[in-house]
Amino acid sequence: MSWMNIELILLIVLPAGLAVIMYFSSAFNQRARNSLAVVGAGVELYLVFSLFIFNFEAVKNSDFFLQSTMGYSDSPFVINFAMDNLSLLFSLIVTAVVFLIVIFSTQYIRDKENRYFALFFLVLASIQGSILTADLFTLYLFIEAITIFTTPLISFNKTEKTTRAAMQYLFYGITGGVFFFISIILIYFNLGTLKMAAVAENFGLISTPMQLTIIIFFLLAVLIKLGIFPIHFWLPRAHSACPAPISALLSGVLLKVYLYIFMRLFWTMIAFDFLVELHLSAFVLDLALVSSLIGHVFALQADELKKMLAYSSIGHIGMILAVLMLNTEAAFYGGLLHIIAHMLMKSGLFLSSGYLLRTTLSHHIDDLKGIGHKNRLVFISFIIICLGTIGMPPLIGFVSKWFVLLAFLEARHYFGAFVVGAGSIIALIYYLRYISQAYETVKTESKTLREELISLKAFFKSTNIMKNVIYLFTLLIIFFGLSYKIFEMPINTAIFELLNPQKYIELVLGG
Amino acid sequence: MFTNLVFIILFMIGFYALVMKTNLIKNVIGLNLMEAAVFFWVISFSDIGGEVAIHKMGEEMTKFNDPVPQALTLTGIVIGASTAALLLTLIIELNKFSGTIDREKIEGLND
Amino acid sequence: MEIPTETQPEVESLNKLMKKTLISVVLAGVAFALYQNFSLMPGYEGLNVGLSNYIIESGLKDTGSLNLITAVLYDYRAFDSLGESTVIFGAVSGIVLILSRKMLPVSSKGLSFIVKRTLGIMTPFIALFGLYVITHGHLTPGGGFQGGVILAAISIIFSIVYGSAFDYRRYSPQTKTALETGGALTFLGLGLAGIFMEGAFLHNLGFLTAETGTLISAGSIPYINIGVGFKVGAGLAIIFYSMIQKTFEEDF
Repeated sequence: MSWMNIELILLIVLPAGLAVIMYFSSAFNQRARNSLAVVGAGVELYLVFSLFIFNFEAVKNSDFFLQSTMGYSDSPFVINFAMDNLSLLFSLIVTAVVFLIVIFSTQYIRDKENRYFALFFLVLASIQGSILTADLFTLYLFIEAITIFTTPLISFNKTEKTTRAAMQYLFYGITGGVFFFISIILIYFNLGTLKMAAVAENFGLISTPMQLTIIIFFLLAVLIKLGIFPIHFWLPRAHSACPAPISALLSGVLLKVYLYIFMRLFWTMIAFDFLVELHLSAFVLDLALVSSLIGHVFALQADELKKMLAYSSIGHIGMILAVLMLNTEAAFYGGLLHIIAHMLMKSGLFLSSGYLLRTTLSHHIDDLKGIGHKNRLVFISFIIICLGTIGMPPLIGFVSKWFVLLAFLEARHYFGAFVVGAGSIIALIYYLRYISQAYETVKTESKTLREELISLKAFFKSTNIMKNVIYLFTLLIIFFGLSYKIFEMPINTAIFELLNPQKYIELVLGG
Repeated sequence: MFTNLVFIILFMIGFYALVMKTNLIKNVIGLNLMEAAVFFWVISFSDIGGEVAIHKMGEEMTKFNDPVPQALTLTGIVIGASTAALLLTLIIELNKFSGTIDREKIEGLND
Repeated sequence: MEIPTETQPEVESLNKLMKKTLISVVLAGVAFALYQNFSLMPGYEGLNVGLSNYIIESGLKDTGSLNLITAVLYDYRAFDSLGESTVIFGAVSGIVLILSRKMLPVSSKGLSFIVKRTLGIMTPFIALFGLYVITHGHLTPGGGFQGGVILAAISIIFSIVYGSAFDYRRYSPQTKTALETGGALTFLGLGLAGIFMEGAFLHNLGFLTAETGTLISAGSIPYINIGVGFKVGAGLAIIFYSMIQKTFEEDF
């Protein structure tokens, strides 16, 4: 009888069970349902955080490893879950951001909340599963599950636009899934195993053309899901159609989960040397940089606030992918830090845009006139987060972009450095377009900014949770910008995992 | 090998229907054809001429076909069925809004 | 500059033809490359190497299930099956979310008397076959998913032959949802029981094993089969009824 690391299973089963309860919560009153959702997400966050705290020494020495095997541990195709420093970092930040999004959506969603939260927690469960799993087929299952569960959430507000966006999202997602399945089956037929660690050990035994096929199908699948340039049409539509918390989930969290899966596949499972050998890494690097540039340029012409934010996501994701493909320590540091920064900033931006756009007629730029006067503080937070994405000094966006730029310069990849700089300048232009529009028509407001700040007491009395979540995001961005050293230890240990996949392989295969 | 040929031809027909046909239902059929081609290939490639992997009482079996690809395929089929149902549901909804299931006539889908 | 209007359709059709040819050529090229590539793949040895060898040798001993595919599905890789029933649950709730309406419009019309009587005679046998496939999943070909689909087919045939009102009255959506959740909870409960009794999530329950080949052998596999069977049957029936609601409104 082995009680090994049951908490890994619990991390996946807890949100799934909560989803079933939520599905039947139409009889509950609002307050009970909301508090159940917040408490559930809080318990999840507590579990991950306690893993971090209780194993702090192990994490620091980067020999942290948890593993949970299901059933017969001596059988070769048993499913196992593993958590190393990289998974811990992603699990922690993803759960923290999802927790804040849950708090926001308890107030934002006012209709069919039971179905909304059921699907939301199912998405959380599949995210945790895809982060923790060490089995290829289970990874496929969780990726497909994420696609299937997010589709109804995209078409949550039933209009023609959202239905269209959801359909396109599902078409692209499932096509990517089919490619992923082909790759897995090819691996199984060649190596006779589904464990990532065993695949990693034996991948060199496959003949080179077959390696190329497997890698290309994996790349196609993940690049479709990431929305890299030639196949990015679905992303802005899907990310702008859904309710604001779901936009934050898709753009802020899910894209990073796909980046994590990319790292798992191409650093831990298939060694990065194979990509370099087959001349694919340079190709993906250039593709990602072009995608980044195109994302920023398209954001310039987007006339809807959320569409603009979604295109800007394409730009940032392309940049992160490009910097990861450099495969140096500095590049990983910049990339991982920018993953954290972009997760915070994009979620904050989408949430605040959701709050701002509740009072406007449409999301079109012409309807945003004077929005900065109506919600002063929220709009100021919006501007601060925007400055963060552009890369203004005291904020975390600056720090992460700085390290990305340094990594590009260190690798003497000047096109990459140019894209980082150009992206920032273009971003400045398109954010200014919206900000100037928001302050255009001056309306007579009864309260000045000072009065509003003074009336902080009244503000907390009204307990506007949505506003507080947005302020919290803003404060986090300022705080982490000043003290980004907090992330140094977890990121460095995660980089250790990326550079030494041997440790993961040995620990998984050794039981 | 004949199995590979059939798989690739079926897969490409499905992909062609997914990319080129403007009728959304035909696109779903194309997607399902792609999936079906993969499942067919998995099953037939793992067939080494043995028996189905089920013991019979009182008989000693020596040569089995690999049961693991079959189990994986079953999971894949269930996922494929769920996605096909979701896609058809979305097409029903879209038809209610725009009155057509032609991809080119629905504004904003033809690219 | 003005393009004459009558040439425009021609240009368009030419463009379309170009596009079609281009795509066909590209696909044919990819197909050829893939074929060349796949023909390099060594023939499948499967059972001689790696993991499949294990299941032939000790599959029956470990799980007690004669059907080794079921043994893989519900014992060795049971978590995948749990995940896929969760996918069905999510898809059902998503479809209900997308298609949710205030009331269920139903039709009481059906096919002719002969068809109704014939189906009435046949239904018990179809149901029996479905239940047989579900409960004998560990002994013969079949299992929860396959039997569940047969059970869902009964519901679908009912709505075609008797009109959807009949099936709606017999088994209301609430009943189906309860069945579905019951199945899912059975699966989850057996998984949690595995933690407490055997030490691993979804581990086969040792105390339930009986003589190999009998109906209630193979540990918890038959119970998981029953849970999954009802879950899949009810889930597919719910999907079907959500989709036909609009269609039947017209012939009321």
